[in-house]
Amino acid sequence: MTAPATSTTPESNRSRPGGETQSLVLALVGSGGDGVALLGDLLLRMAAQQGLYGMMVQSYGPQIRGGESAVILRVSRAEVQYEGDQTDVLLCFRLADLKRFQGAVKLHPESAVILEQTDTAELPEWTGRSDRETFRYPFAKLENGIEVVGDPKNMMALALLCSVLDWPASLARETLGHRFGHRPEVLSKNLAAFDKAHNQATQTAPPAMPIFPGTGKGLFAETGNEAVARGAIASGLRFFAGYPITPSSEVMETLVEELPPLGGSVVQAEDEISALGMVIGASFGGVPAMTATSGPGLSLMTEMMGLSSMAEIPAVIVDCQRAGPATGMPSRTEQADLYHAIYAGHGDFPRAVLGVFDVVHARSVMYKAFHLSERYQLPVLVLSDAYIAQRRQIRDPVTERREAPHRDVWSPGMGPARFDIGGEHGVTPFRVPGSPEGTYLAAGIEHNQEGNPTADGTIHQQMNQKRFRKLGAIEQDTKDWFRTLGAPSAPLGIVAWGSQYGILREWVASHPEYRVFLPEILHPYPLGAFEAWRKNLKSLAIVEMSFQGQLHHYLSGLTDIRDARSVTRSGGPPLKTSELKRLLEEAMR
Amino acid sequence: MKAKDYRTTLEPVWCTGCGDFGVLKGLTQALVDLEIPPERLAVISGIGCSSRLPGYTRSYAFNSIHGRALPIATGLKLSRPEITTLVVGGDGDGFSIGLGHLPHAIRRDVDITYTVLDNGIYGLTKGQSSPTTEIDFKRSRGLAGPDERPLNPVLLVLSTGCGFVARSHAGNLPHLREMIREAIRYPGFSFVHVLAGCVTYQTPSYGQEIYQRCDVLPQGYDSSNLTAAIEAARSDRFQLGILYRRDPKIGTEGAVEMAGVAGVWKAHAGTDRGIEDVAHEE
Repeated sequence: MTAPATSTTPESNRSRPGGETQSLVLALVGSGGDGVALLGDLLLRMAAQQGLYGMMVQSYGPQIRGGESAVILRVSRAEVQYEGDQTDVLLCFRLADLKRFQGAVKLHPESAVILEQTDTAELPEWTGRSDRETFRYPFAKLENGIEVVGDPKNMMALALLCSVLDWPASLARETLGHRFGHRPEVLSKNLAAFDKAHNQATQTAPPAMPIFPGTGKGLFAETGNEAVARGAIASGLRFFAGYPITPSSEVMETLVEELPPLGGSVVQAEDEISALGMVIGASFGGVPAMTATSGPGLSLMTEMMGLSSMAEIPAVIVDCQRAGPATGMPSRTEQADLYHAIYAGHGDFPRAVLGVFDVVHARSVMYKAFHLSERYQLPVLVLSDAYIAQRRQIRDPVTERREAPHRDVWSPGMGPARFDIGGEHGVTPFRVPGSPEGTYLAAGIEHNQEGNPTADGTIHQQMNQKRFRKLGAIEQDTKDWFRTLGAPSAPLGIVAWGSQYGILREWVASHPEYRVFLPEILHPYPLGAFEAWRKNLKSLAIVEMSFQGQLHHYLSGLTDIRDARSVTRSGGPPLKTSELKRLLEEAMR
Repeated sequence: MKAKDYRTTLEPVWCTGCGDFGVLKGLTQALVDLEIPPERLAVISGIGCSSRLPGYTRSYAFNSIHGRALPIATGLKLSRPEITTLVVGGDGDGFSIGLGHLPHAIRRDVDITYTVLDNGIYGLTKGQSSPTTEIDFKRSRGLAGPDERPLNPVLLVLSTGCGFVARSHAGNLPHLREMIREAIRYPGFSFVHVLAGCVTYQTPSYGQEIYQRCDVLPQGYDSSNLTAAIEAARSDRFQLGILYRRDPKIGTEGAVEMAGVAGVWKAHAGTDRGIEDVAHEE
């Protein structure tokens, strides 16, 4: 990896404001086909190569494909899980495309703004204003006033941004080479466009931003969905079945590439009912298995979740939450599947529910999910959300413990019946097909210890007791599965979960009067730790993204939090610091 | 091993005279023929009278939820190809609530044998019409009659590309034994349609009446001829035998491989590309 040693923009008349800064936010906006996503991806890769951290989020319209597209890219000298508050660089190929992203761009006096030269429109009011002169560049190729296909705009933009950020052109060329090495024609076309624009950029002097060095030690970028998939593989996953759904599809797509070479299978099922059914079938065969979906798919899987718990067959279910209900807003984030994950399904059955904090955490939480599911032979749900799933985040290189979780497996002569109620913590050795003398009946119908169907109320009670003993044991195992932020003595408390971790990390850094409690396991809840954490609080707010305030209501059923304030709204764009500030002020008033 | 060695100690809950007894017998006889060790056998069902069958079969048995036996069997077989995987169930379980899974199980061609015990009625829930209830169905109880055309399961599976399709009758044990045996032998997805009586919610003689409407396929019938199979499936009378047997090109291992890198992935290739990149790369 090469550190950006010298500037490639020789001119001296540009001023770089601000000096050395800690993070920069770039907003890249264009039409479908402008390659804005690729541009963001290349910039993020370049940041990682220089030893900078950062993250990138993409915004689409409701139909996922086509239309306008915006990328928010934040590069930073430390790990970030939040896209930032203000826009330092705005690059927009067509101002008309900016309309749909109201709120996503917020300029400040020193922001750099790069627009299409032939675009005569003005920036809308809501973006705010920079004191610096707008830089206009001829991205579009016009013939008789009509735009025709010219050089790739994203390559021109890449060249300009190298100049703006003072990143070496050699690094851009190298990154393009990595990205398109397997497609030489695409590579040479893109390189040619990049070089042409780069030569022009050195003459036209686009606005400069503060010099921003990384450590020079190469880092690694992946999305939340990739991290979930890879974390699962490292945790022993060998069978996956899923059905395409935004925003979780990339879990399956990553596994299609990476699981079969390790001897595992991936199936695209005909629907989510089938997906979880296949997972249960594979796990019935003794193979660690999982599925990934989003809210609508989770709804379809609900009956199967009960089967997994009733027949005591491990299954890991990842739910990348999106704004619901019904179809909702597929590409937007929300935290409103919490009730469903904890409560959904007919009858009484144990399950565990974990929450993902960010891309880095996604890998370790998958290990925990498989550990619990295999150890206790029940369904474990992992709640991610669109903000994590679709984000590409730079992280330290992975040091993974490739350690298969333990399932207690029966062998001939071992004794206990498949559903023996005397097992420690309600767990009895799992009889894996192929094991001689181990044949038994697995059933969704209530059964006795041998697995044979029964309609005896006393046995039903005993079996429920057996199955729910697991939940008590899990509660013991997981009582320290939480994170806290801020000083333990801070007077104001926030409880939150999942992707709110990112913004709250930064909030607490600038607001020392706050402390934060984030459960990693939502069910069973780490109540003892929570009670200890909240001692001597002056006030408590529950920050989440659900219209009903699902975490708030859930907690109200677990302990006395009658004085807690709800800081919540429906899903959509992730919370910003300014909004959090306002909501907290209103709530704490 | 003898047929009774494939039985558990559980006594069937079926009504005296139920056609399901014949299928349990024919199935265990076929297992004797194939010498499949019980520990290498999985029998999977959904819910219904006939879905109780796994509990009576010495195997890694799974009495799951209504209509979902095929996905569970698919997951098991793909992850444990050495386990002989059978699915049994009724017409309501397989052709109503679970029908959505059938064409896809056929498409994947995973080596599973699916035996449907078709008595044209919902027995467990006491006599409601099923997707194969005939329009002139004579009920013994006072439920409203169906006014929908029954579906033709054999025609359905043939049209969706099933590689092995057989039909038998629960009352013809030697034939049933042979059909199930040949289906299990087939290295791909196989389907056995078994006509069975329901003595309680059909007329007690229904099984016999249906049998009167059956013909065994004639000598010289070419089971590799799909057109002939479709014609046989469309016949007014029930044709018994191996209606269709496609030359199996993909064995169990092939099926696993196919599911791992199914053609459908081509459309999703290059997953680390942003969604809008395509235009500039082509």
